[in-house]
Amino acid sequence: MTTRRDLFKFAGGSAMGLLLTPAPWRLITDTALWSENWPGIPRPARGEIRAKFTHCGLCAAGCAVRARCVGEQPVSLAGVEGGLCPFGVTGHHLPYHPERLRHGNRPEAAAAVARAIANSAPDRRVAVLDLQPGRTASWTCRRALAALKNGVYLAPEEPACAVNLAPAGTVLSLGAPLLDGWGSPDRVFRARSGFRLIQAEAVESRTAALADQWLAVQPGSESVLGRAVAGTVGLRQAAEATGLAEAQIAEVARSLRENGPALIVAPEMTSEVLAWNLALGAWGKTVLPRREAPLPREWSKAAPVTPLAAVEVGSLGALLIDESVPGAPLPWAAIQPKLAADAVVVAFSWSRAGYARHATHVLPAAVYPEALGDLPPALVAPSVGSAAEFRLTVPLVAAPDGMTDPAEFLSAVAGLDAKDALRQRAAAIHAAARGSLRTYADGKTSAVKDLKFDDFWKALNAGGSWMGEVENSGKSPHLAPAAPIPDAGDPWPLRLSTTQPGAPALVSPLMTKLWQESGLRLGPHRAALNPRAGFEEGARAVLETPYGRCEIQAALDGSVPPGVVLVAYTPEIADIRGADGCARLVRI
Amino acid sequence: MRRNIFIAVGLLAGLGAGWAGFPRAIYSRRPQPVDFSHKVHADKAGAKCEDCHGFREDGSFAGIPTLDKCASCHAAPMGSTATEKSFIDTYVTPGREPQWLSYARQPENVYFSHITHVKRAQLKCAQCHGDEGSADHLRPFEQDRVSGYSRDIWGAPGRPGMKMDDCVNCHRQSAAKGAAGTLSAQAGERGCLDCHK
Amino acid sequence: MNKRYGMSIDIDKCTGCGACMVACAVENNVPALPGANDRRGITWMRVYRVDNGEEYPDRRSAFVPMLCQQCGVETPCAHVCPQQAVDVDPATGIVGQMPERCLGCRYCMAACPYHARYFNWWDPQWPAGMEKTLNPDVAPRMRGVVEKCNFCHGRYHRAKERAAAAGEKDIRPGEYIPACVEACPAGAIRFGDLNDPSSEVAAARHEAGSFRLLEKLGTDPKIYYHSTRDWVRQIAFAPKPGGKENLHG
Repeated sequence: MTTRRDLFKFAGGSAMGLLLTPAPWRLITDTALWSENWPGIPRPARGEIRAKFTHCGLCAAGCAVRARCVGEQPVSLAGVEGGLCPFGVTGHHLPYHPERLRHGNRPEAAAAVARAIANSAPDRRVAVLDLQPGRTASWTCRRALAALKNGVYLAPEEPACAVNLAPAGTVLSLGAPLLDGWGSPDRVFRARSGFRLIQAEAVESRTAALADQWLAVQPGSESVLGRAVAGTVGLRQAAEATGLAEAQIAEVARSLRENGPALIVAPEMTSEVLAWNLALGAWGKTVLPRREAPLPREWSKAAPVTPLAAVEVGSLGALLIDESVPGAPLPWAAIQPKLAADAVVVAFSWSRAGYARHATHVLPAAVYPEALGDLPPALVAPSVGSAAEFRLTVPLVAAPDGMTDPAEFLSAVAGLDAKDALRQRAAAIHAAARGSLRTYADGKTSAVKDLKFDDFWKALNAGGSWMGEVENSGKSPHLAPAAPIPDAGDPWPLRLSTTQPGAPALVSPLMTKLWQESGLRLGPHRAALNPRAGFEEGARAVLETPYGRCEIQAALDGSVPPGVVLVAYTPEIADIRGADGCARLVRI
Repeated sequence: MRRNIFIAVGLLAGLGAGWAGFPRAIYSRRPQPVDFSHKVHADKAGAKCEDCHGFREDGSFAGIPTLDKCASCHAAPMGSTATEKSFIDTYVTPGREPQWLSYARQPENVYFSHITHVKRAQLKCAQCHGDEGSADHLRPFEQDRVSGYSRDIWGAPGRPGMKMDDCVNCHRQSAAKGAAGTLSAQAGERGCLDCHK
Repeated sequence: MNKRYGMSIDIDKCTGCGACMVACAVENNVPALPGANDRRGITWMRVYRVDNGEEYPDRRSAFVPMLCQQCGVETPCAHVCPQQAVDVDPATGIVGQMPERCLGCRYCMAACPYHARYFNWWDPQWPAGMEKTLNPDVAPRMRGVVEKCNFCHGRYHRAKERAAAAGEKDIRPGEYIPACVEACPAGAIRFGDLNDPSSEVAAARHEAGSFRLLEKLGTDPKIYYHSTRDWVRQIAFAPKPGGKENLHG
């Protein structure tokens, strides 16, 4: 009869036996191997490695991009003609961003817009706000608005000129982030060794740190220095406003005039900045006409660009905001008064972070690099000089279902057939038979007149770039009268300054490496303050401006002067930031 | 004394399970989607390994061919076997990729360059993969239930293993044979990252 | 002939934009995890901001990209590793880290004079769908192991494979460059073979203002920095730029 004891003996024996077999040792090995590949660890897909080319759609500069793809899927992005900014390097992550907008009710939005148009009284207007004017899609919107009665095309002010850094001898930057993603990095850095850079800025920014000379001016007084250099403001007045010595300002003006060609750049290249450059004799050398690629003749019927200030209060019955490409947004505080009480606001967005917070309808738009589009005329001209360019942002991955193209949405509402607008534009360029086409895959340049249209169009869709003929002269542009210098009021003791204006609403999750895993950049909702500003590191405070308030966390930084609060650019900050930059901080 | 027989029986059972049962039980078996005959293709079509298992332009190894490679010959039946007919009906005509199971797939952390071994060192395919080219049938794919590795990594009679030790042994041997400065000498001892990624 | 890959970083050109940091993470499948901070996050390449210690407006900043310095002599991390998970490849001079051998004791992290080694506190994870963008030439690491810069060794493999396909004996100079070098918009980083006298990096280390970090330790690091500013060159003696223990010059 077997007993319990026998069973234990049997078990003990078999355990001993098993130890004399490969089984336990193999299981240990297997477990170790399993731990290297356990289900939490994704496996990269394998396949043929290919290169695809496109132009970056994350700002208006549109750097040429070489995408390394496994099969069709891009796995890394690099610049074709130089490095990319960190946003551009990680652009291929955006389609997978967890906070990406994926759903929207297009029929409902279309019906609401159609109702607003149909019911509109004669003084009610239908407007499009285009954050990146000058694209073919912008022209489609303008044509559609011209077809509608009461259509208004709103856009932020476009640069009054293009600049060319290649011939420059001395560059005065009035707070422009020249070395930090301004224009296109490859064009800026290729010319960098050729010019002396004087950076006038209150904060010791990245550009200030790397400039040949940094002028720590009073916050907000950069434009006074520009006027002083151009001679429209006296030295004493400029010295008072900027906090610099009169001799110092005179020295800057002298070096600009003597070590030319000179160039003055500002964050926004307004016509006043252009006027200062003209006073320095920069026209045709470092400051050039900003040329646009030819347009089909049929497109001449287009709504004019209207500044927001010219729109009557309460007159917008419907506002369509094209946020499908990043651009410097207009503050909501300036837009809101223009809306009628029952206005329909449709935002075409990548995320809920931007205007989607204020819109009545939000429609998801394809993100870079999913959408096909083109780029506005460049701010930094190619080193050869002023020439029109036509470059496509070619999709590298397919957009998911349910994405809305704002230009297509509007043309459907207006009954305009604009499906092939890009192709028509390319045909107009081809028909003009001028300029040349560059293909990045083989590095070749060929004259457009030697190409068949189909080959031209195919090459553009493979990431080719068209450049018109170089023509640096051109009639000097019309200059608008200068705006008065804003004066900070007493209850607003601080000046608000932002980093990276116009940064895309979505950034790759990897960008946290720059502000969370390291302190290299200022993260969202962080405010850099001088260590003697009376706040401790990490202290919470409310940032108040005449337009609103926003909670921030203090980060002490000796490169920020007392009296300035430097914040990372976010849509919330864009909403409350006024042109004068007045602000105050209230401790919580 | 009689009682100790249970220990002996247990011992035998353990030994039997460990030596005979376990090596079978640790692997799961799955048949390949198509009963492909390397032999028929090598004999009748005179195909060489690299005709189907080729290199891409950048020198990377394409591995198991995709359907378009098969379809370039088998768009319509070339012979009269039922296997071929069903292959065409199931995969070629609907354009469905057969889900081949890779015997020799190395783990993710291994970097192996076929072209360096085949083109530069002139190794024959059979040296690592065994005489696969003359097999008339595809073996079932056997996968370690715990680690997920293919059984081929451990080798079999007539087929060398593909464990790290096997790589290292071969490299040491060729390094010992090669004169200083030659390619085989370079193939000797190197850093871990030479074969890992 | 054996190679000795090295890097030359011009601090006077670095704007601290961070493109190298994210390009490195993209290339090497380094994830960004929600709980990651400056102590627990992984940045094979990390750019520190250093300053001259003056008050505004006399303060001046500089940006110092820090990565594994690829010590060639008495490599501290390789010395202390109980698992032989770290080795110096005699053919390239690259210090390699083998995650599969690593047991996660982090002795190497303590031994590294440059704080250039990082520990995987979590399993690597990406937002849904983003795992499609992983680089097939680099295996993601598991939780509990140490990792660090290996000069984008996957790119070295690729370059070698291309050379083999073209029937060339060796890779050509410039065919193999790490992701950070490729990404830098300012052209501040140069990379090449220090044993090749015609290479840019071999020439750059003899330029005036060229220095290495903690050279006095005698570990023969292969990253050369360059600055014409005296106070910047003081970082060569500091334990960790940008940190609280920063040595002001």
